[in-house]
Amino acid sequence: MSGFEVIKAGIFTLIQDRGRYNYTHLGVTTAGYLDEYSALWAHKLLDNDVNNNLLEITFSNVEFKSTGNTTLAITGAYCEFFINGILKPVWCSYDIKTGDIVKVGKFMSGSRVYLAVKNGFIIKKEFGSNSTSMKESLGGLSGDKLQNNDFLPFENTNIIVKKRIREDLLPKYENELTLRVILSCQEDSFKKEEKDKFFNSNFTVTSDFNRMACKLKGERIKSDLNGIISEGISFGAIQIPKDGQPIILLKERQTIGGYPKIGSVLSIDCFKLAQAKIGTIIRFEELGIEDGQNKIKDFYSNFF
Amino acid sequence: MNIKIASVDSLIIYFSDTISKETSLQVKSLYKSLKELNDEGLIEIIPSYTSLFISYDVFKYNFKSIKSFLEEQLKDLKSYEEDNSNIINIDVYYGEEVGLDLTRVATFANISVDEVIQLHSSKIYDVYAIGFLPGFAYLASIDEKIVVPRLESPRKITPKGSVSIADNQTAIYPQNSPGGWNVLGRTTFELFDKNLAKLSPLCIDSRIKFNPISKEEFLNQGGIL
Repeated sequence: MSGFEVIKAGIFTLIQDRGRYNYTHLGVTTAGYLDEYSALWAHKLLDNDVNNNLLEITFSNVEFKSTGNTTLAITGAYCEFFINGILKPVWCSYDIKTGDIVKVGKFMSGSRVYLAVKNGFIIKKEFGSNSTSMKESLGGLSGDKLQNNDFLPFENTNIIVKKRIREDLLPKYENELTLRVILSCQEDSFKKEEKDKFFNSNFTVTSDFNRMACKLKGERIKSDLNGIISEGISFGAIQIPKDGQPIILLKERQTIGGYPKIGSVLSIDCFKLAQAKIGTIIRFEELGIEDGQNKIKDFYSNFF
Repeated sequence: MNIKIASVDSLIIYFSDTISKETSLQVKSLYKSLKELNDEGLIEIIPSYTSLFISYDVFKYNFKSIKSFLEEQLKDLKSYEEDNSNIINIDVYYGEEVGLDLTRVATFANISVDEVIQLHSSKIYDVYAIGFLPGFAYLASIDEKIVVPRLESPRKITPKGSVSIADNQTAIYPQNSPGGWNVLGRTTFELFDKNLAKLSPLCIDSRIKFNPISKEEFLNQGGIL
């Protein structure tokens, strides 16, 4: 069978797709790739279906040996990428032949690399998705992250033309990031001075940053509410717990929660946050719902 | 009824700001009727105690259009009919070895352990929300005589299958987990299992009754002490 033999799985490499959407009412997280911009570009470089799966690689030192022919695309964090020991630029697609060794080395900027193959890896979906959710042990190859000696089967395909992305569409991962926020849910419980503080000060990304959420550090933001009756939570929701330090909820968030929320980060800005590092400076900027919806429609129109 | 923006592509409908059975039935009623529409524009629908969260496809709805669509739905909302056919009976071994807080609860309530068990197992409970852990259903309301606060310091591990109470609610831990609820007993009933077609036998409109069983029966069912 054609596929990748996993020589080095890396510390945290996951199979992801757009997510598992039909089980949130049972408390099952959606999961899905954190940075949709990079993931969707990887698929676009291969003319893949948007529902195909790919790999989300969070730490360097990942190595595969190919037992077939395919085309792969690599996007996301800028990293050292080698095919048979030769350094290659990322945000490109490459033809891979039987026996080729593919390696993801050191990350230069950004936090998550996306690696896709033509038509995705051939893996049986679990409950409608290949997305790995380790908490529920769902998706992936066996509900877990990638392991050494795993095998990632793919369809043997022959040479499609090498593609790269237009220079001006390449993301830049900088030390400062402005996230656009739509006020939501319990925004009324934040007095004007609290909102002013929220929108006019700098926060930093802490080490409490994973697929579930990103905790920030900065000015203490106060809600008039101590807690709320647990309710469904959106992607990008900004919870303000008692310590006043914002928590931005991401793809593997819990489905319901009881902290007051001031707003939600625009989904397409969460994709940029997904590439941030500990210490990145975050600022918030208010955005209206209509503008926000137009912006995400523009975003997805590039891919769907 | 109050519809609020939750994010660029989601909203939340608040039915009330206090928890009650009446509100919960309204949530369930809208949840059911929206599910029956099979509208692909509605992506996730998450019911909770007093609210319904909905994420939607922005290519199909904008906030204004989904809001008016939902307002129409709410106008025609049928009153929810409780259905006794979906009562799930769950066998529980209320023994001292597994009911880690039986004595604490009995002392707190100033009644005997047997009375605690009798009170806990005699009611039919409604599901108010599912979350925290996959398959973790918040059930209410327990008899007010056994309403006790959470543990002062949560356990590092509350064992899988622990049948527990906190405030006026009761729940079963679907897996080992840190937790601060008072544990009364243990069940072998699976709340979340990849081998089940729907992942969990429970849903928001399930009704639950606990059935006390002996240690022997519990062990025969594969129970672990």
